[in-house]
Amino acid sequence: MAAALEFQGVHKRFGEVAALRGLDLAVGAGELLVLVGPSGCGKTTALRTAAGLEEVSEGTIRIGGRDVTRLLPAARNVAMVFQNYALFPHLSAAENIGFGLRARKVARAEARERILSAARVVGCEALLERKPHELSGGERQRVALARALVREPDVFLLDEPLSNLDAQLRVEMRAELRRLHNRLGATMVYVTHDQVEALTMGDRVAVLSQGVLQQVDVPDAVYRRPANRFVATFVGSPAMNILSARDEGGRLRAGPFVFDRPPGTDGRPVEVGIRPEHLALVADGAPAQVEVVEVAGNEAFLHLDAGGTRLVARVGPEHRPAAGSTVALAVAVPGSVHIFDAETGEALT
Amino acid sequence: MRSERGLALLLFPYVAGLVVLVALPAAITFGLALFKYDLVSSPEFLGLDNFRELADDEVFRIALRNSLMFIAFAVPIRLVGALSLALLLHRRMRGVGAYRAGVYLPTIVPDVAYALLWLWLFNPLYGPINLTLDALGFPSPEWLTDGRDAQWAIITMTVFLLGEGFLVALAVRQSIPGELYELAAVEAASPLYVLRRLTLPLMAPAMLLLLFRDTIFSFQLNFVPALLVTEGGPPPYETTYLPLFVYRTGFEYLRYGYAAAATVVMFLITALIVVIQWRIIVRWRKGLAV
Repeated sequence: MAAALEFQGVHKRFGEVAALRGLDLAVGAGELLVLVGPSGCGKTTALRTAAGLEEVSEGTIRIGGRDVTRLLPAARNVAMVFQNYALFPHLSAAENIGFGLRARKVARAEARERILSAARVVGCEALLERKPHELSGGERQRVALARALVREPDVFLLDEPLSNLDAQLRVEMRAELRRLHNRLGATMVYVTHDQVEALTMGDRVAVLSQGVLQQVDVPDAVYRRPANRFVATFVGSPAMNILSARDEGGRLRAGPFVFDRPPGTDGRPVEVGIRPEHLALVADGAPAQVEVVEVAGNEAFLHLDAGGTRLVARVGPEHRPAAGSTVALAVAVPGSVHIFDAETGEALT
Repeated sequence: MRSERGLALLLFPYVAGLVVLVALPAAITFGLALFKYDLVSSPEFLGLDNFRELADDEVFRIALRNSLMFIAFAVPIRLVGALSLALLLHRRMRGVGAYRAGVYLPTIVPDVAYALLWLWLFNPLYGPINLTLDALGFPSPEWLTDGRDAQWAIITMTVFLLGEGFLVALAVRQSIPGELYELAAVEAASPLYVLRRLTLPLMAPAMLLLLFRDTIFSFQLNFVPALLVTEGGPPPYETTYLPLFVYRTGFEYLRYGYAAAATVVMFLITALIVVIQWRIIVRWRKGLAV
């Protein structure tokens, strides 16, 4: 039965190091929430506190409204999928999937039935007799997933489960996990450092940095309306261009561009953020020298120097300027510019 | 080609040592077992007579029985001890380094010093073991004068020589990924279930090797204690084990051929025990996999 998971003012300290600093986050019943952030941001710690593998230093964790903060992992009815799968090497896939059932003394016949049914859901029923070393990375992942769902836990906790797979398989498993979630309607918390995974998989995305929740919203909103400079630069690849801006008679000059100052930004130092895809090569625009051209199939990333301001532009196949050449640059989409408070980093527009 | 020559060069000291110090003496021992030889007269070929005599030798039979009894008790105790201590001391906790060093310490004490220490510990009048037992109201064993007690004295002495087994077990336990235990915790596995289904099966291959090694080692382990602490007695031969029998036959009675034949039998019995253990464990592991 899917249940809501709530973090209320959760702090976790390892000696002097604060891994989580007052995390307030509610994951709805049946929701797939992706916790994303760079290495060391506290996302795995958050997951482990939810599982009961780490004690919280302060705060409360609730599952289905029940305070589980001081409960042992076994009493929380959560299932966890680890980055390295954590399959028992001496047990077959079936025994791995049924480990928790047998530990809970579920009768052998019932366990067998549930193992088979879980294996069918993730498509690993043909692998049940094999040992982990006889399975590929993707197959191991399926077995680990089957083990998580065989107990029908209240919450699934997935710690970077796709990070050990190759790029193509990762894309396939991403979609498969999403389908699995739609089918089960289970509450899932999915930890990743990969922002593409976060944006493509999550019902909502929670961005963490240095133990502090930066923003939690639907993927599109996180990308289009980042709450601050950190989210803006972390989400999206290549990262958003951040340009320091100065006031020029009520208008803003940022690098080679001049913008009308948006209302509500008067009187404070600001920075301007422009996504690489919002820069375009035009016939008449700000001159910029092309330093590097990265061709990525159908598109290219141009690393530019516009009078001392470094910029990255994403351009289509019709543009392939040579390195060293000069191009004319403009902001292609009106209203796509983000304004951040230069001191706090908070988004002002 | 250069790398092969380099490899051969690097291996040479080890292979040379192995041949000169192990293979050659072993081959000589096998050959000597077929002769009568006392270091003074010329060797006299006897064929299998030495082995026939061994079969009828009461003292050899007692030494063999004592050795097998010793192995039957000492090996399991030492193995379980090494495993238990490794499971107890694998976690990080205050003072764990000192505890680990304490477990290993008896292993590095020289054999003779270790035997003399135990001679004092077992002393019936002023030995601390019997004094403590007396103080607690328990009967005092006659460690050095009663046959059964003396055999237990030798087993007790060797039980503490488990440092190497402990170290191997500790390394193996520490090499099991912590994630497996975390998963078991999330899956509500009880400590006993984790021990039975996770820890022991994953440690089994290493413990198996330790079992073989300890069995082989145990045939020789009691030599110094039996020689120095109980002198093979109490009479007639309560703590005369095979190594002591070989030593006395060879170096005290100067019957080198006969001692060599006893050594060959000891070698064959060791091999037989290891094979039996191997077969039992293979069956056990198959059963575990079901």
